[in-house]
Amino acid sequence: MSQTVTAPAVKESPSSPGPKLAKALLAGDRPYMLYFAFAVLVVAFSVMSPVFFSTANFLNIGRQTALVSIIAVGATFVIISGEIDLSVASTLAVSGMSAALAMQHLQNSWYVGLLAALATGAVVGLINGVLTARLAIPSFLVTLGTLGMARGVALLVTDTKPVIINNDTYFAIFGEGLIAGIPVPIVWTVLVMILGALLLHFSGFGRRIYATGGNATAARYSGINTKRVKTTALVLTGTLAGLAAVIFTARAHAARPDVVAGMELDVIAAVILGGTSLFGGRGAIVGTLLGSLIIGVLNNGLVLLGVSSSLQLVIKGAIIIAAVAFSKK
Amino acid sequence: MPTIETSSTSVPLQSRVPLVRLEGITKSFGGVQALRGVSFDLLPGEVHALLGENGAGKSTLIKILSGVNTRDGGVLEVAGEETTFRSPAESRNAGLAVVYQELSLVPSMSVAANLLLGREPQNRLGLVKRRQLMREVEAFLETYNMPLNPKAIVGDLPFAYRQMTEICKALMGNVRILVLDEPTSALTGGEEEVLFDAVKRVTERGVGVIYVTHRLSEVFRLSQRVTVLRDGSNVATFATSETTMKSLVAAIVGPGHEGLRSATEAVASDAVAADAAATAAPQVEPFLKMSNVVNDRLRGVDLAVRPREIHGLAGVVGSGRTEILQTVFGLRKVASGELQIDGQARKVRNPIDAIRLGVALAPEDRHEQGLVLSHTIERNMALPRIGQLSRFGWFRRGASVQRSHEAIKELAVKAPGPSTVVGNLSGGNQQKVVFGKWRDPTPKLLLLDEPTVGVDVGAREEIYGVIRRAAQGSTAVLVASSDLVELLLLCHRISIVVDGRIVKTVSRAELGNEEDLHHLIQESQSLAQESQS
Repeated sequence: MSQTVTAPAVKESPSSPGPKLAKALLAGDRPYMLYFAFAVLVVAFSVMSPVFFSTANFLNIGRQTALVSIIAVGATFVIISGEIDLSVASTLAVSGMSAALAMQHLQNSWYVGLLAALATGAVVGLINGVLTARLAIPSFLVTLGTLGMARGVALLVTDTKPVIINNDTYFAIFGEGLIAGIPVPIVWTVLVMILGALLLHFSGFGRRIYATGGNATAARYSGINTKRVKTTALVLTGTLAGLAAVIFTARAHAARPDVVAGMELDVIAAVILGGTSLFGGRGAIVGTLLGSLIIGVLNNGLVLLGVSSSLQLVIKGAIIIAAVAFSKK
Repeated sequence: MPTIETSSTSVPLQSRVPLVRLEGITKSFGGVQALRGVSFDLLPGEVHALLGENGAGKSTLIKILSGVNTRDGGVLEVAGEETTFRSPAESRNAGLAVVYQELSLVPSMSVAANLLLGREPQNRLGLVKRRQLMREVEAFLETYNMPLNPKAIVGDLPFAYRQMTEICKALMGNVRILVLDEPTSALTGGEEEVLFDAVKRVTERGVGVIYVTHRLSEVFRLSQRVTVLRDGSNVATFATSETTMKSLVAAIVGPGHEGLRSATEAVASDAVAADAAATAAPQVEPFLKMSNVVNDRLRGVDLAVRPREIHGLAGVVGSGRTEILQTVFGLRKVASGELQIDGQARKVRNPIDAIRLGVALAPEDRHEQGLVLSHTIERNMALPRIGQLSRFGWFRRGASVQRSHEAIKELAVKAPGPSTVVGNLSGGNQQKVVFGKWRDPTPKLLLLDEPTVGVDVGAREEIYGVIRRAAQGSTAVLVASSDLVELLLLCHRISIVVDGRIVKTVSRAELGNEEDLHHLIQESQSLAQESQS
């Protein structure tokens, strides 16, 4: 029915902020629920582990979650636009190989590595985008395909051998340097988060992303080029996977073709935990940040508590399901 | 099926026990009193129309009848026994079925499979007896004279036929009380007739029909009694034969409502205005000119719409009305012929091209095509103007909020503000938001497809006002509608569309009332059929 509204034309009941917060928590309004879950985890781990609550450990968590956080910013755009990208981990691997090979064979300077990785990531994203938007193949299938292809190419180029990187500037800028005592991967993460939030929440492009995911037909009927919007979101994610590859290789001093397999699931979990709707049209960067921090805190805390890695997987999975279930409307 | 064996018993209405009787029903949601004591009854074999503006309580009443909600107070009797429906299943078991505007069909399945969904004849192994299923459905469709192909896939059918399938589905269950909620909101001409005919056939078998509608003409055509709800109370119940359109409108709108005009008065006063515009118009160059436009659905359309003109497209569902609008808006390719906009031949490949030329479309299906329901008014209104509202790629939210404020005020959208979520608004207010999307800058050509479907009487008048003001401000308006009164109220000229062609264009002054137009459509339809055979 087009009018399910009973008495007033609009349902909106202003109430005092106190009960509203409690209500939101109980009803599972996502952002509040998320802060709550994050706080519970931090308190629990702080009580259970003496080393958890320290600056050093927090920086450690930030560094460990940098890759997921950076890619999750792009994935937030993709998921809000109503699509999905499963290929990000493979894209990271192939972009890392590209950076290392470019520095080895073209010119051993940091920007060559950076550009090679970003360009490779963008190309994978463009392939995802063109196949999804122009040929109208569901992005789930397209990126499932490129997940395999990108990984295969990464393995093929050196016949599965790692490529050593030898460039101290590259290591410093992207992997090991400190700015005001903060490790550069965290600085890059913050930078990407801020730019991502500005783009998503304050630009015309961001508006088009929400509209496309909210109702693609209505968006098209309103003159929005939904194909271009989706393609751009996928290119953005690929490019950010390229940046993540640079940070990864700068910390490892080498590129390996077989790394971070399965990371796409952490990325998607971070975005969805952050309250972004898997059906598109709703979500926020701040949620994604919290989502990826929750996953980071979980990984870190469980290791500190000495939980076996097998059990870690079980607990992590259960907590992700529980968090989403509780915050479901 | 039990409904197929016909044995019409014609006992006078009064002597029967009501199928349903409601007395003093109250219901509140939170602090809002939705029903304040509604009394209503339905006799076997009767069509009882239920009228009222959005928010009057119709939906709540139906929800209580169908077991979606339970009443706070009052009496609900079914066949003389007091009862309470705690779930839709309970109400269904008691023989009550509701056909909603939103359909409950499986689009990928055939009409036959949908009609007997969950009630398929099965053999001992639990496998569906397909041939028997088909036989039952065919017999049913024949009895009710429903022009449906049982093998057709529901998703491929035009909306009108899907709705017909939905009604048949309800009838095929053992239903004694049928609630039709705006059943004709997307039907026209032929289908309307079939629906009315079907309603008559069911009532002959003693089924009672509660008929919720916004269209007063249907009340008079179909119902024996009519109950008007306003602000959660029943204002009055009339015997249809003893009431007039004027008194019904007065009862719906209530005392002291400004701009109260009965439909007939409006037609009369508008005919005068239409004459003036129609005589003044020809000197102006058309803004839109279609010459022999052909594509997958159009078979040579010739049409000219001038600035300040409101031009109507009338015809049955599937005639190509909607497709003409879609072609102009770049949603369908032009295969041959010429599309002129603003004095030049144009290639309109997509809505982006159309919007650039000053064309706007308020599409047929608000929910699917017009709005992002989960987003705010401000976000929706900004949709077609994101580029214009941005500077160097940055969206100027302040400007957009300001623009929405102005639109809300100008269009009298009943909402607390621009941040209200569109899905929470009533049909009429949602349609106003669609209009708000396209204002500022004012479109040069406004394409409207069924502009007031699911919009209540009060808001309908307001939307007509908006359309008229747009035309007065030199916009060319092309409006496709199934509601003939609406076309007569609005248009200076009306074109009749039959099978992807415009077969006739008449000026408003040549038409007297709804019947004339109806007649003209039927006549054009049969002429076209003759020339084909």
